[in-house]
Parts: sequence; structure tokens; C-alpha cells
Amino acid sequence: METRQPDDRERREWEAEFEAASRRPLRTRLRYAFIHTYKPVLDDATYRSFDTMAQYREWCARELPSWLGYGPAV
Amino acid sequence: MAPRFEYAQAEEVRDAFARHGVLYLFIGKSGAILLGYPDTTQDADLFLAKGAANGTVAVAALRELGFDLTEPQADEIRRGKDFVQLRSGPFDLDLVFAPDGIETFDDAWRRRVEVEGFPVCHPDDIIRSKEAANRAKDRESLPRLRAFREYWLRNRP
Repeated sequence: METRQPDDRERREWEAEFEAASRRPLRTRLRYAFIHTYKPVLDDATYRSFDTMAQYREWCARELPSWLGYGPAV
Repeated sequence: MAPRFEYAQAEEVRDAFARHGVLYLFIGKSGAILLGYPDTTQDADLFLAKGAANGTVAVAALRELGFDLTEPQADEIRRGKDFVQLRSGPFDLDLVFAPDGIETFDDAWRRRVEVEGFPVCHPDDIIRSKEAANRAKDRESLPRLRAFREYWLRNRP
């Protein structure tokens, strides 16, 4: 997958974030890592299953709002 | 809406899955976060070994954790559908039996990283699965995740 290349400044900022995170205990990191916001359609069923990942990806592309980002990268 | 997934919930998964002997790995961004990746995510993704035996113990562990599974749903997990999304329990979980970009569970298991008793996919596998999934949100997150992989390889304990 082709993705953008970060510039040097961005790399330095990320390194600083990784350093800061490494100083925090896992318990603290997890406390702030998991957020919960309502995702339309995706959160509207208590259970879903798919025979194949391809079927799941197709369902995401077809049914979910594109802004959720679950559709294929173009 | 289910409560947030926090350290206590991760411990509950780890301990219940260990009691029942479930073969699994944290994968996706939740796996990366366990490795130290500073970011946010909405749910935990677990990569489970496919097979009736592992599916059976996974169902038992999930029910013990409080997931309300009907018998047809339990059967699907035992059979190992490729992807199961659970929103019927104490927190949100995605079960992945065949993540994109990873050949077999055994391959990923050999490369796994243990973090405080949590079995986690190696960053290379997390990245590979996101590359293969090729979703818009993965394209956004991959450059930083790749940078974290480099940092992690240089600094891993």
C-alpha cells in the first residue's frame, strides 16, 4: 500500500511521543487509549459475523458511511 | 453503549482466555497500543486460532466474561467464521480468525510479543494486516505505525 512519507519534523514529533509513551505504565496507556464514540450502522447490531474477510470488507464498503474510513483506500 | 475497554478489561480477557486455554493474540491498533504505540482506538481486536477446539473454549471464555451469545452465534464462533463483531458484552470485541496479510495463526504465534502476560502480534504482523486490509483509515495510520515499529525495534526490552 502506497502511503505518504512523513517529513523530518513529523518524525521527530512522533519519536518524542513514542518516548513519552514508553515512560508511562501500560495501565495508564490503556486508560487513555480506548475511546468510545457511536459509529453509525457499525454499532447498531449486537452481533455480526462474516464467512470471509472479503465479505466483511465488501459489507463495510457498501453499508458504512465513507467518513468512518472502513472502505477501501482509493 | 458498552463501557470503555481499559486495563481491567484487558486483564479479564487475558485471565479468562488463559483459564480456558484459548489460543489468541491481540492484533490491530489495540495490539499496537499494548506494545506502546500512543494512539486511540474504539475496540479490541483479537486474532483467534481457527478450529473447533479453540472455538469451543473461546465461547466458554466469552460467556464467562459476560458476552451474551445465542447458541447459533456460539456455533458460528466454534466453526471459526473469518470475522465476528461482538457488541453484546461488557465491552466491544472484534474476533478475527483470518486477518488479511497473515498466512496462519501459527506463523503469527511464533512471532508474538508478550507484554505483561498479554500475547500480542509482532508489529510486522500488525502492519502487514493493515497493509493488506487497505482501508482508508489504515492508509492514514500506517506511516506513524511504521515509524513506531522502527522505534520499537530499536528500544524493545
